[in-house]
Amino acid sequence: MKYAGRYASLLLLLLSILVAASSLALAQIGPDIPREETLIVDILTGRSPNPRRFNAWAPGTTTDAGIQQLMLDTLWCVEYAQGEILNVVAAAPPIYSDDYTQMTVKLREGLYWSDGVAFTADDLVFTVETLKANPGMNYQAEFDIFVKEVYKTDDYTVVFELKEPNSRFHTYFLNRWGACRIMPKHIWENVDNPMAFDFYPPVSLGQYVLKDVDPGGYWFLWEKREDWERTAVGQLYGEPKPRYILFHFYGPPERKVIAQSRHELDMCDLTMESLQASWENPGFRTYRKEYPWIVNIDPCITGITFNVLVEPFDNKDVRWALALAMDIVDVMALSFDGAGVMGALLVPPTPVYLDWYYEPMEEWLREFTLDIEVDGAPFKPYDPGAAKRLADYAAGRGYDVPDDPAKQREIFGYGWWKYAPEVAAQLLERNGFSRDKDGGWLLPDGTPWKITITSHPNPAHPAYKNSFAIAQQWRRFGIEVEVVTTEQYNTLATYGQFDVSSVWPAYEPWGGHPDMYRTLRMWDSDLHRPVGEVTYGHQGRWSHPDLDVIIDKLEKIGFDDPELIPLAIEGLKITTAEMPSIATFGYPGFVGWDETYWTNYPGAENPYQQPYQHWPNFKFMLPFLEPTGNK
Amino acid sequence: MPFLKRYLLPRIVQYLVVIFIGGTLVFIIPRLMPVDPVQQTLQRITIQGAFLDPRAIEQIRETLLELYGLKGSLMEQYFALWRRLLRGDFGPSYVQFPTPVMTLIKISLPWTVGLLVTTTVLSWIVGNILGGIAAYYSHRRWAQLMENIAMLIRPIPYYIIALALLLLLAYAVPIFPVTGGFSIGRSFVFSWGLVLDILKHAFLPALSLAIVGTATWFMTMRLLVSNLLAEDYIVYAQIAGVQDGEILYNYAIKNAMLPQVTGLTLSLGQIFGGALITETVFSYPGLGTLLYSSINSGDYNLMMGITLLSVVAIATGVLIMDLIYPFLDPRIRYE
Repeated sequence: MKYAGRYASLLLLLLSILVAASSLALAQIGPDIPREETLIVDILTGRSPNPRRFNAWAPGTTTDAGIQQLMLDTLWCVEYAQGEILNVVAAAPPIYSDDYTQMTVKLREGLYWSDGVAFTADDLVFTVETLKANPGMNYQAEFDIFVKEVYKTDDYTVVFELKEPNSRFHTYFLNRWGACRIMPKHIWENVDNPMAFDFYPPVSLGQYVLKDVDPGGYWFLWEKREDWERTAVGQLYGEPKPRYILFHFYGPPERKVIAQSRHELDMCDLTMESLQASWENPGFRTYRKEYPWIVNIDPCITGITFNVLVEPFDNKDVRWALALAMDIVDVMALSFDGAGVMGALLVPPTPVYLDWYYEPMEEWLREFTLDIEVDGAPFKPYDPGAAKRLADYAAGRGYDVPDDPAKQREIFGYGWWKYAPEVAAQLLERNGFSRDKDGGWLLPDGTPWKITITSHPNPAHPAYKNSFAIAQQWRRFGIEVEVVTTEQYNTLATYGQFDVSSVWPAYEPWGGHPDMYRTLRMWDSDLHRPVGEVTYGHQGRWSHPDLDVIIDKLEKIGFDDPELIPLAIEGLKITTAEMPSIATFGYPGFVGWDETYWTNYPGAENPYQQPYQHWPNFKFMLPFLEPTGNK
Repeated sequence: MPFLKRYLLPRIVQYLVVIFIGGTLVFIIPRLMPVDPVQQTLQRITIQGAFLDPRAIEQIRETLLELYGLKGSLMEQYFALWRRLLRGDFGPSYVQFPTPVMTLIKISLPWTVGLLVTTTVLSWIVGNILGGIAAYYSHRRWAQLMENIAMLIRPIPYYIIALALLLLLAYAVPIFPVTGGFSIGRSFVFSWGLVLDILKHAFLPALSLAIVGTATWFMTMRLLVSNLLAEDYIVYAQIAGVQDGEILYNYAIKNAMLPQVTGLTLSLGQIFGGALITETVFSYPGLGTLLYSSINSGDYNLMMGITLLSVVAIATGVLIMDLIYPFLDPRIRYE
């Protein structure tokens, strides 16, 4: 008992410390920044190591903490929810000469920099000339290769004379998570070393200006300009609702869940696991309010890439056999509990691409046959019922799944390849593969077949989840499979030092435009490099002479030519038949929104905009958000 | 003079050799990694959506190799490194090109030093005092309780302790901030309010480090003192009727301090490597996350800058300790 007093004192001391600490606790937002007027969003790319650097024209600057969303506009922007290209600083789409050696840009009038100086053609001309003259700066190489001369014909018209025909030159100014942004000439013309210049405090062309920045690099606070109507967004959509936007990096997903539980984070990316934990948070919602919750408009396709310079993946039959040895329902169930949109083509199955490519190609997919017979008839590998099977799986898990087949196709996709291990076996056997006594597959030389999948190290990334799910499928088929996750997956893939990779089976298309040049070009044979050399094309190193012809044709027609889709369809038929990569499902984005202070986010029930806070399009969402009135 | 000739000069030469070897290793090791810094930069540019013509990418690659100083042979790069280092320049960061590495380190260093120096020194003092007392009074119930608590804490992975504190004091009982070094919107100009704010933000990261640090120092000190208690001079002092407090502080703890002081020196030197897990769990600014991102992105210069700083700090700390040992322990003489 004689120590009871001491223990009690110790406990009292601890409690005092806690009480004192809690009395020190201040609101997360400063006293002059009301929470109800502030939208707090997560920074995707993490902490900024140099938070006072706003030089968006030098490589390495963090741009998704407000630079690309609020501060700097581009000429055009891809809008992939609605499938359109927005004229932002440009007043109209680009005007090309017939031979694509000249491009004219009409600029929007009435725009002003945040320091009151008018935005004019001089800014654009100056930007291009400055970047072209400074090696190492973003877009220097592109402008050096293509731009012969850039000049203005009046204050709002700029002409680019090109060194060679380029029907897609304007895409360097087309924002799709990055593009050439425009410099304020009146600031930069006095800078000696544009690469070293920090551009701090920055001058903004967007509807917000920088108010404060964390010297530790975790947050950036932006304030609405008083003259917001003199910005592109102001002209396009009106006044943005939040007075302040706080970009804040919270770190791992569990931290974001905690922050949202405290209503200190309105918009963020989550993982499947953290999303499940967030349901406890009052005011929490996801992109789709019901299962499968995910963002289904992200313009990326997930899947498997084969290194076709490595045996036996140089053999089309082998690649097809591996596709048919996978049950897509099992893969998606293991990866994301079925939450995803399956895609058989190397095109993201977003609503707009479903309309542009999946819908027109479905008949062809149904009739497509492999060069092998089953029961005396050519084998048709496409399974239009795969989405229904996935819907049944989800219903079996207790999720609320609509019965309407059209709704199911919208949620789960159009179809995929049949799960046909017996056909896969035939394809392998006719190429000299055999099985050992335990059913394991042997290579034609009689050695056991072992596949190594190189993958992304982040357990939440679809590439990571996909690799383990697919490894399990192939093991079940009788192949020894190892998954290697590494931070260096990109370097290894670029040098061709892999067998199979689960990172991006195809290059992303524009997202909001049917042109597939951006995707198909990466398989051009002129980008081919042997293993050990860096490739600038797709990392699988596959190409095809027929596809080269299509790429050439695409290069010679304009961005809005009616032949774009038919040509791309022909290209996609080749990539489907050759199977250089296996597409699995669209990138499943998991966003978490807190509706305590703000509402009318662009969810699945009203997708007026893309839903992410890290895309440049975020700025277009701001006039449509509504304050709830909570204080 | 014999001290200078026989000990100090060779010791300083040894110190310089350690730094030289350290510098050479931090030059070689990153280059053995399967990461191409130029490729990592290109990936950042292209993977996020901006469209680059493959011909342009090839040209950018050549330019970046030139700008990053990666065009020459390894020997040329190595000599260039030492020319720069002798001028006190770590070169430019690749990821934040052309921002000097020193600028990036200066941004993160104060947070790391503030957090880690405080917690390291505090936990060292508290752990050693409590460990010494617990060893001397090991038969008392409160000493056994302290030992049990320390034994319970020590094997728990630090990440779990940090996360538990975060969940307890930022989620279940939300009295501390979830993230950051100070409150948003607060002017970063000296005031007592700012100091309190910084302390509040540092409290959870510091508490997590202090708990683990104190338990570790406690256990080692307890072990050292326990061994000393069997020494003849302590037994003699007890028989002679010297008071417990004097025996504890002047005979036991003081004699057990030498390895602990060496340990403190090494711990303080390691501070310059940052506290990666602490910074990640609490989103606290510091050198740990900077070092981690430099490794992932193949930013050789930044990696070398932070690592070399740590090498120099540890080598300097050990040198200083070697020189002041005689003041701490009269049994040591440099003759």
